[in-house]
Amino acid sequence: MIQVTGPKIHFVIPIFGGIPITQTAIASFVVMLILCISGFFLGRNLKKRPSRLQVVTEKLVSMIYGLVEETMGKHNSHWTPYIATLFLSSILGSLIGMTGFLRSTTADLSTVIVWALMTSFLVWGNTIRYQGLKAWLKGYINPLNIVSDIAQPVSMAFRHFGNIMGGGVLTSLMYSALAAGSTALLGAIASSPLLVSMAIILLGGYLLIRGVKKKKLLPKIFGIALAAIGLFALLERFGVVSGIPILSLGLPAVLSLYFDLFSGFVQALVFSLLTMVYVGIACPPKESTLKEK
Amino acid sequence: MSGFESVVGVNFWTALFTFLNMVITFLLLKKFLFKPVKKMIDDRQAEIDRMYEEAESAKQDALSAEAEYAQKLKDAKQEASRILSQAQQDATAKGDEIIRDARQEASRLKEKAQEDIRLEQKKAVNQMKDEISGMAVAIAAKVAEKEIRQEDHEALIEKFIEELGDKA
Repeated sequence: MIQVTGPKIHFVIPIFGGIPITQTAIASFVVMLILCISGFFLGRNLKKRPSRLQVVTEKLVSMIYGLVEETMGKHNSHWTPYIATLFLSSILGSLIGMTGFLRSTTADLSTVIVWALMTSFLVWGNTIRYQGLKAWLKGYINPLNIVSDIAQPVSMAFRHFGNIMGGGVLTSLMYSALAAGSTALLGAIASSPLLVSMAIILLGGYLLIRGVKKKKLLPKIFGIALAAIGLFALLERFGVVSGIPILSLGLPAVLSLYFDLFSGFVQALVFSLLTMVYVGIACPPKESTLKEK
Repeated sequence: MSGFESVVGVNFWTALFTFLNMVITFLLLKKFLFKPVKKMIDDRQAEIDRMYEEAESAKQDALSAEAEYAQKLKDAKQEASRILSQAQQDATAKGDEIIRDARQEASRLKEKAQEDIRLEQKKAVNQMKDEISGMAVAIAAKVAEKEIRQEDHEALIEKFIEELGDKA
């Protein structure tokens, strides 16, 4: 039975009525450390004639600058470090769940709601800075704008949270389903005549040898899988081992490509893009409505 | 105490930590990564732009210098040909002058020679006249055997010779 839980509370610091330190807090701290340390080392010893690492760094930095300038306009180029921080924290926070011992920071609503609210406050603050407090308050004469300003961070946060959390839930569901499936499969083979498992091993071996000879990947994989299934069924029949989740090998990796890598990347991109768009609208180009600071 | 947070819930402390972590990450990344890297990229871009500009202006200089030298070469050639033709003209004029001078000199010499000849002729004639008159006087003296005053005779003979000369 799978239990879908929130982040585990590791311990509670007994001040201010107890500060709970959750998996998210620790993962978030690790993400910060990784980003800051790698940023510090990448930004060090820059030279006019760059090393390979510096070329890659510069390429990435100018890519982010290009993206920001394209989305928010050239005059908002100074927002790049914030957007990049958001993007990198998001993608690394999602990917850090793949390490196995840390939980994705983005699979906790506490994280993403903060990011979404930061976006909202930036939008409000810049609206006031560029158009004045009066104009900002005037915008709420239409009460739908209040709804939209509340809905905006909520939807951003839940979109990101839901995707990563859902991916995690699906992955664990997949694992338990595959474990149950393999138990059933091995049990079925083990309880059938001995010849069946022998035949499966032989078939697997044949496929494997053919795959090696013809240098094709797929027969090799299926050959190994079949041989392993036959072998484990045989072992289970004689009571050596039991309940090996053989089907969990390989298949979840493919799914993880989508749910962790792809989804994490897309959600980070979506979140940063939305932030860029919202903040970009709040910061129009100078010639239109900028008030003197 | 350990347990689990609810799946869909917001923990204030986690949110606060997240916010602080974000701010720290942002500040550090901005200071140590984005500013220096961006500055480096911009500096390099500026340097490349400047180098291209310099190369462009150097090219322009070279082109204009080339045009200038070509013009100078052309001028020099024109000057040379002008000097040459001038020299030819001068030489021709000089030659003509020399020839003219020579001709004048020749004609002058010729005239002088003719004059000399005429004078010599006249002189010879006069001499001959003298001699002839002397001879005539002597002959007449011999003939007349008498002394005649030479001056009278000379006048007489002169007249005679003049008539003779005119006839001749």
